[in-house]
Amino acid sequence: MISHRQGNAQRIAALDERAEALNLKRGMGIADACAMHPSIDIVEADPEADRRLLEGLADWCDRYTPLVALDGTDGLYLDVTGCTHLFGGERSMLDDILARFFHQGFDVRAGLAATPGAAWAAARFAGDRIVPDGEEEALLAPMPLAALRIDPEVRASLESVGLRTAGAVMAAPRAPLARRFGASLLLRLDQALGRLDEAVSPRLPVAPLSVERHLAEPILLTEDIERLTGMLATTLKSDLERRGEGARRLALLLFRVDGGVSRIAVGTSRPLREPRLIQKLFHERLAALERDIDAGYGFDLVRLSVLTAAAFDMQQADLAGETSDDGADIALFADRIRARLGEGAVLKPVAVESHLPERAVATIPFTEAPQRSSPPKQPDKAKDAPTTVFQPERPIRLFRSPEPIEVPATEMPEGPPLNFRWRRALYRVARAEGPERIAPEWWREAAGREDAPTRDYFRIEDADGRRYWLYRQGLYGASQVPPRWFMHGIFA
Amino acid sequence: MATSAVARETVFALRRQIAKIEGTLSERLEASAGAAPVDADVSPQTLTLPRNLTIVRRGLAVASQDAFLSTGAERLDAALSGGLPKAALSEFHGAATRDAGAVAGFVLALVSLILSQGPRLPVLWIGTSEVFREAGFPYARGLHAFFGIEPEQLLFSEAPRLLDALWVAEEAARMTALAAVILEIRGSPQRLDLTATRRLHARAQSAGRPLFLLRQAGEPEPTAAPVRLILSAAPAAARQTIAGPLAGSIGRPAFTVAIGKSRTALPGQFTLEWNPDERIFEERRGEQGRSQESAPERPKNPLPVVSASRRREDPAAASGAVLAFPAVGSPAAGDQPSPRERPAHRRPRRTG
Repeated sequence: MISHRQGNAQRIAALDERAEALNLKRGMGIADACAMHPSIDIVEADPEADRRLLEGLADWCDRYTPLVALDGTDGLYLDVTGCTHLFGGERSMLDDILARFFHQGFDVRAGLAATPGAAWAAARFAGDRIVPDGEEEALLAPMPLAALRIDPEVRASLESVGLRTAGAVMAAPRAPLARRFGASLLLRLDQALGRLDEAVSPRLPVAPLSVERHLAEPILLTEDIERLTGMLATTLKSDLERRGEGARRLALLLFRVDGGVSRIAVGTSRPLREPRLIQKLFHERLAALERDIDAGYGFDLVRLSVLTAAAFDMQQADLAGETSDDGADIALFADRIRARLGEGAVLKPVAVESHLPERAVATIPFTEAPQRSSPPKQPDKAKDAPTTVFQPERPIRLFRSPEPIEVPATEMPEGPPLNFRWRRALYRVARAEGPERIAPEWWREAAGREDAPTRDYFRIEDADGRRYWLYRQGLYGASQVPPRWFMHGIFA
Repeated sequence: MATSAVARETVFALRRQIAKIEGTLSERLEASAGAAPVDADVSPQTLTLPRNLTIVRRGLAVASQDAFLSTGAERLDAALSGGLPKAALSEFHGAATRDAGAVAGFVLALVSLILSQGPRLPVLWIGTSEVFREAGFPYARGLHAFFGIEPEQLLFSEAPRLLDALWVAEEAARMTALAAVILEIRGSPQRLDLTATRRLHARAQSAGRPLFLLRQAGEPEPTAAPVRLILSAAPAAARQTIAGPLAGSIGRPAFTVAIGKSRTALPGQFTLEWNPDERIFEERRGEQGRSQESAPERPKNPLPVVSASRRREDPAAASGAVLAFPAVGSPAAGDQPSPRERPAHRRPRRTG
């Protein structure tokens, strides 16, 4: 028996059959129940865990249809339009669902109808019924008002005027009903009867392409999963070829016998359709997730879905039958690294138009580089005008966040330091170049914020010949706060 | 005596076998069938060698020049018998993390040399999160300015753990689509032992691409890499301007290179200077570059001084015929030109 706090009292939220046999009811106070039966076992309700369980079940129901939606806290909608023939018809599909849930230890009731409302009512009030198309009215007519999915207040006021079944409401004239009980009642009625469409919003977007295999004997070994992935990818290849596309994101769904679902996704940096390569990617991903996937009693359904697809450029092979494309090698290499170590494992730098050193280069996760239509620009020595402007020297390594250093003294107030302490070691400055003043990007500052102080950069060589890039933030005497010094980079 | 002759034969056979196992270039240390069984009493130095016997250095046999990456500094190249092996693992050590700039700079200069010779393939730089945090992340603007490596040619891989970094490096080392792979590790981790380096070396050999292992603050441990260089920063020479070296300025990057391990070379120390404009190494001999710079100095005159052409040593050729005094060519590698024979004074005279 499960209790929950409602208002100011602990009340019964759910109870099992044996408790029901003791004449306990939902909503009864725990104190009363304990007084009646002191030996009952009471568990605190955990709505969060219930929710997770329901989502787990929804994941599992993905094996029947990709369109699975949650219904409140205790129900699931499955849109099986066009899926029933895969399981041998509506009846056998329903039986299969019920049997599998029963073996997992759940007590479920199911209904199948042409509208979500009718199915809802059939599942809750008729019990495992399949309602043929057009017979919703006959189904609903004898049912209590609760079958119409209406608010308790509306239901109570309907009952107070003597309308106790759905059939009675249907028989009543519509206009007064709407005036007296609100539009939601008629909306629910029309939805249940199929006069209005009701959209069930699925939890997950539907994959454009999916292939799956049901297994008579559950598989346990990673090698088997990989081999099966390769076989599914082979099937997928022809579909992708027909659409002229390649996969950019792929997901492998492993349905465990006891209802658990593992979802493994990989991304690719260029459209992919070669089964061998897809298998390789999942090999890395599975190797990385080896600890996280619990095979339990084995997987009995494996599905490979293409979540995102993109146009696939065909490449002509040379006479040896091989495309000598280094870019493809690198893309695959990067995909494998990312499959194992995460999205940020392979980075590439991108130059950004900015004079701030830390903003001038952005590192982004590696994806397929934009195809160049023209060959890369070669510096043309003949036409290159002699540059008179100094390119400012930039370090070869930059600290992600500048590290504060202690500067005891400078020769001149605005000059370079004589020595400094960085990471608890003292450095004597042998030579210095600078300053190079770098002002903050005021046009990027949020309005009303205090201006970030300007920085004066110095190129420093210490007594041993190592070269550093330091800066002083702020000016001497400009404000009460003395300027601070930072180490920002290292030169070769 | 016969016994020592037999022992020598055994040693030769064993060396051949080792060479075969290690996959080094075909070693021709054969005391071949044609070779007369030499008298064991004669020491190898005084031995008159048979005509068909080619004695080469152990390990790296006579190989095509392609197998080596010449640094351009003659003495270093000679000491390394031609340069760094291209298809191999090479180790570069820095004594402390603060030397990361010098170690990375030298290796990037080598990468720049590779890129200038071969096709423009990308370069992968693998590092652990630790080393990127402690020594700074590679900065593409600086790499472009100093070494001419375009941002599109760079790929970085940051691995949270050393194990992952090694895995990435092993995967990358077998790829031929990368011009070079740089693996940067800090400290002397247990996992980076002889076996791990041998795996990396074997992959680099089969792919024919260099794998540079940067070890910041690492101990010289047993390694399978044929060459290990120990790098530190050297004080830079002053900037060259038309009016002579600019006092107190910091010029081109300079490195002190010590050979820590090489099968062919004796330990030695060299000071190289990288010319970012020409993208070549120049060797610096003696101390004339920095003789007067032991004490910290400041420019006496802080006014801007006209700098020498940044792009190349000689300015663009003016139109018109060169009449006399043809260009002498670049100064001897590594020698700092004394003020009297500075390039500005040796420029060919022109008609107008």
